[in-house]
Amino acid sequence: MIPFMIDGQPVEGKEGGNVLEVALDAGIEIPHLCYNESVRPYGACRLCLVEVSRRGRTRLTTACTYPVLEGIEVYTQTEKVLRARRMIIELILAMCPGDQLIQDMAREMGVHAVRFKQEDKDCILCGLCSRICEEVVGAHAIQFAFRGDRREMIPPFLGEAMNCIACGACVVACPVDVIKMKEEGDERTIVRWKRTLKMKQCKVCGNYFAPWFQLEKFRDQAKLQKDFFDVCYTCRT
Amino acid sequence: MTEKLNVFAVRTLTQKEYFAPGHRACQGCAEVLAVRLVAKALGRNVIVSNATGCMEIVSSPLPFTSWRVPWFHVAFENTAAVASGIEAGLKVLMRKGRIPRKKIVSLAMAGDGGTADIGLQALSGALERGHDFIYICTDNEAYMNTGIQRSSSTPFGASTTTSPAGKVQIGQITWKKNMAAIAAAHNIPYVATACPSYPIDLVQKVKKAAEIEGPAYIHILSVCPTGWRSAPELSIKLGRLAAETGVFPLYEVDHGKYRLSIDFPKLKPVKEYIKLQGRFRHLTDDMIEQIEKRIRKEYEELKEKAAKGARDDSNRG
Repeated sequence: MIPFMIDGQPVEGKEGGNVLEVALDAGIEIPHLCYNESVRPYGACRLCLVEVSRRGRTRLTTACTYPVLEGIEVYTQTEKVLRARRMIIELILAMCPGDQLIQDMAREMGVHAVRFKQEDKDCILCGLCSRICEEVVGAHAIQFAFRGDRREMIPPFLGEAMNCIACGACVVACPVDVIKMKEEGDERTIVRWKRTLKMKQCKVCGNYFAPWFQLEKFRDQAKLQKDFFDVCYTCRT
Repeated sequence: MTEKLNVFAVRTLTQKEYFAPGHRACQGCAEVLAVRLVAKALGRNVIVSNATGCMEIVSSPLPFTSWRVPWFHVAFENTAAVASGIEAGLKVLMRKGRIPRKKIVSLAMAGDGGTADIGLQALSGALERGHDFIYICTDNEAYMNTGIQRSSSTPFGASTTTSPAGKVQIGQITWKKNMAAIAAAHNIPYVATACPSYPIDLVQKVKKAAEIEGPAYIHILSVCPTGWRSAPELSIKLGRLAAETGVFPLYEVDHGKYRLSIDFPKLKPVKEYIKLQGRFRHLTDDMIEQIEKRIRKEYEELKEKAAKGARDDSNRG
């Protein structure tokens, strides 16, 4: 365990860990959007900015990507940090004025008006969906398209995301809840990725339990017998 | 819509355990799984008041504890009263500036005995007063920790030590008390039923309950292999079967509007659920049919309410 200080409070972190998880563990609140423990930190939302002092030098950096180092001093509530965070949430709010979570966060940080040109996007470009798709699911179905201010998270070439297995991990992980899933009859649709998959029906009970495409893929990868997914999880003995 | 997600979605939940392993729950206990998921969903800003019961016994054998969040053991009768007191206390402390302003959830947790029998009046009072807290009932359908005595949540026909099946009686002769409906009748903002066999669904319901201002009640069916006389490895399956046969439909009541979380095109026969449990082994086919009839009727009623909720939604939208 590596000892260091956050806001004057002594804490300990694991080697290879990051400042944000240690802070959250110690009950020190740092706002964050793009951080999820199941994937590598990415530093996209910039909301977890903190001031880190190391060897007499102080710099503003994201807590989620800053490694735990011995003897560093982290400050989460200085005037500089709060001002930078307010600016960032204002920029995010200007990009996505309709997101409930962003509005709440902005209000909490004391941002009531947006000074910038408002856009009507709903995605905050944190990239969590694509990172989860890559690192947790391994489907590589979606990725960022374009660069700079035109950057977007869209299905490949704005068509159907052909690698998507409709597992719904991105639906659950999305911090602003803009990836929606619909289930109607024997079809499951991930609306944002324009992916509609037929669901497989259990041979015993007749319930639809998972998409065909997904099960075929699993069967392929794990080299299971042909009839392995004929029955649903409950009916399997 | 997230009930059938079970492959990768669960891996996006936090890996931190606020309910530590090494507790003394029985093999195959689904209740402890439910509690672990609830703790995961709420994170560390929570104060738990836990009534006497299985979860209190297994998680706090002196000098150990499984809880990594503040936790109270309270009597059977006053779980909801203590939770509402905690909520009121936090509110005052924040107003006076003694602690920083942030969202701290007051969570009350009790078994079916502590909810449907003994703690009912405190619960009703707290719901009526409108405290901002979550009440979670982990329902294993009898007083399991003292040795399987019947409670008012025990289903019809189940054999327990105080409602034994024999020549005179067929086990429990009353029907299961519908606690979720009682809670919904208080007109509180959020009531839901959940089951740890559907983990993402449970986590999302708990998160929603924490977000909503005002009281929220969540009824969690927790399979108890010891008391139900079922095989420990079947706990998850039994939870699924309970939902799929309509014995324990998963639904939520959001501001008075019913919504079925998972709607099966065809319900499985109740017999599939019953035959896996030793507590129902004495039931004849006639009795099972009687049970099925009642369950189907209740399910239809629920479906009607859900359809009405959906109609209201579309009218407004």
